[in-house]
Amino acid sequence: MKLTTTLLVGATALCLASFANSAAADGHGPSCGLNTGEAATGDPIKVGGINGNAPPGDFSGGTDAAAAYFDCVNANGGINGRPIEYIVENDQWNPELAGQVAAKLVNDEGVVALVGNGSVVSMAVNANLYKDEDVMVMASGCAISECYESSNIVSTNQGPLPSGIGALTYAVEELGTTNAACIGFNIPNNGGWACDWMEDYMSSQGLTGTSILMDPTAVDLNSVYLQALSEGADTILLMLPAGPAIGLLKVAEEQGGRDLFKWVSPTPLYEPGVAEVLGDYWNDNLYIHIELAPFDSDGADNQNWAAVVEAYGQDGDRRDTFSQSGYISAKFFVEALLELDADSIDRATVSDAIRAINGAESDLLCAPYYVGDADRHMPNSTGRMVAYTDGAFEVVRDCFTIESSYLEPIRAQEAALGITQ
Amino acid sequence: MVYGLFLVSGLAVGSLYALGGIGLVILRNSTGVLNFAYGAIAAFSAMFAWQVADWGLPGVISWISAVCIGILLSVAYGRLIAPSLAWREPAVKAIATLGYMLILLGLIGFIWEDALRKIDLPSDKIGIYLLGVRVTVTRIIAFVVSIGVVIGMVQYLRRSNMGLNMRALADNRDHAALLGIPIVRTESLAWGISGALAGFTGLIFGSLVRLEPTVITFMVIPAVAAAICGRLTSLPLTLAGGLFIGVAESMLTLYKPAAPLRTMAPFLIAALVILWMQRGQKLTFAKEV
Repeated sequence: MKLTTTLLVGATALCLASFANSAAADGHGPSCGLNTGEAATGDPIKVGGINGNAPPGDFSGGTDAAAAYFDCVNANGGINGRPIEYIVENDQWNPELAGQVAAKLVNDEGVVALVGNGSVVSMAVNANLYKDEDVMVMASGCAISECYESSNIVSTNQGPLPSGIGALTYAVEELGTTNAACIGFNIPNNGGWACDWMEDYMSSQGLTGTSILMDPTAVDLNSVYLQALSEGADTILLMLPAGPAIGLLKVAEEQGGRDLFKWVSPTPLYEPGVAEVLGDYWNDNLYIHIELAPFDSDGADNQNWAAVVEAYGQDGDRRDTFSQSGYISAKFFVEALLELDADSIDRATVSDAIRAINGAESDLLCAPYYVGDADRHMPNSTGRMVAYTDGAFEVVRDCFTIESSYLEPIRAQEAALGITQ
Repeated sequence: MVYGLFLVSGLAVGSLYALGGIGLVILRNSTGVLNFAYGAIAAFSAMFAWQVADWGLPGVISWISAVCIGILLSVAYGRLIAPSLAWREPAVKAIATLGYMLILLGLIGFIWEDALRKIDLPSDKIGIYLLGVRVTVTRIIAFVVSIGVVIGMVQYLRRSNMGLNMRALADNRDHAALLGIPIVRTESLAWGISGALAGFTGLIFGSLVRLEPTVITFMVIPAVAAAICGRLTSLPLTLAGGLFIGVAESMLTLYKPAAPLRTMAPFLIAALVILWMQRGQKLTFAKEV
């Protein structure tokens, strides 16, 4: 009986959500969860989120969007009447603080899950805690191997590895790349990790790949550029956050390097405002792999993301890929919770519900999203390519699958779950 | 040929380190303060210059504002905080500036949210080819100014009354005070000159490297290394140290196993210089001020 009720409630919720999404696409305002238009007043469900927001970077887009979506859900019936109490902590990129805030959320607050996380430090420090406490993390902004090689972390964003190889795939197939230099940060499990797999990819294609790693605070970007030149590379893969990537592009501009290399980048360089700092010089000479739909896509979910952030976000909230990613994580999380009996929601049932996510769809993603019960997760490993043209980004290749031997275990999981990329 | 590329590239970055080091040495010579907030002052100045340009004011105003805000921030510390630490040990004075650095870094984060920005100078667009590397006029300006400041400051310290006062303060603050040297005025001037250099360095750094406050703030590390090469007293040696660090860092790029570790170059060079220069002589940090 209880199962039947749960299924009925879940089915109703999904129908309402689908209807609501269509409504949002028709321009009727944001659509969230049950979309009842009535505020949830029941016993709150505690959900955590950890971001890194301090110099040198602000990764709060994921938690900002998740907060906006949860507010919207709470204003629209909540989780079958129960509101989500979203507790967000900022670890300020400090490993000690990252451990403290995770312990606070997981042990003291007893959150049922963490959603929208965007801190590489927190992922590295707390992966074992999440596993030991069996709390699932539906992250949104990550860039190190721990995010993708942990049983209890599933990140909607791709990180540098698939996105970088996606960019390189395009360069090899469309731009004629034969020798690529991957410029990345010398950060454990970040630049070296992603660039090593880039070399593996190039080698698998019978081509040449070289890693050029630099310290995050490196000042002498000119030498990094010159190193790529001396390596004989014909393509530069900017496996870097947007700031240093822009710095390197500026050095290349100084040296007239636009025509000496093909320039490709993973998602970080696809950011609002990047066109203003790039200028005309890079027109038609910079290609970026994007792991989610373009910001101006007219897909229903992308439109709803924009509407939710507009209606429920704060003025200072970032509207970037992490924000889109946070929205998706929050949306799939809510959909998973709506399938549960509201009274039975606790950490164990929520973790199981998250692991049971399979085949969730969004126009922000190129392929169905899934979690499953596995020792690693990477549900988003497809993407699109955009070219920088006339001060804007134009899609030059729609959704395509990224191939790398790193992804073999992921593809095996997908096959077992009946997912096709 | 390839060495020439990296030599020119290293000199360009080294001149930025040298500029930072020179600002530190000028200040320490007069006040005894090793200012770890130098990079943060430079970062604040660069961000302020960007802000002024973003408000639509002419480029010249934004460049001047960088220097002015550098002077303001530096003199503010020199007048409001430094005097209360005047009689403390050099290490305490230095550590206090770390606090100021954190305050400024926090203020920058509070005022300017993390976003992509850049400073474009007209001199970025003009350049000459030297040993195969295109050297922009901005880089040439940084190089020429670093040499010009060293020559100018050495002459100023030798020939002007205020320079004499500064040297007297550097030798012994107590005796200088007893002789009637206007300590506050002299120190304020030193803070101002150092702040102006920080503002200028931040502006050039923001244009040449990238406009990221954290990166500019921690530019103080190689700058301190350059200053240590000059034993925190000699401007010409600081200039040489900064240039050498820049070139060494650049050249290490050519040796692939060492390339990812090349940011260690300033520390290694500074440590070696300390060991070499204080053979049986006075200790670098033990000087009474």
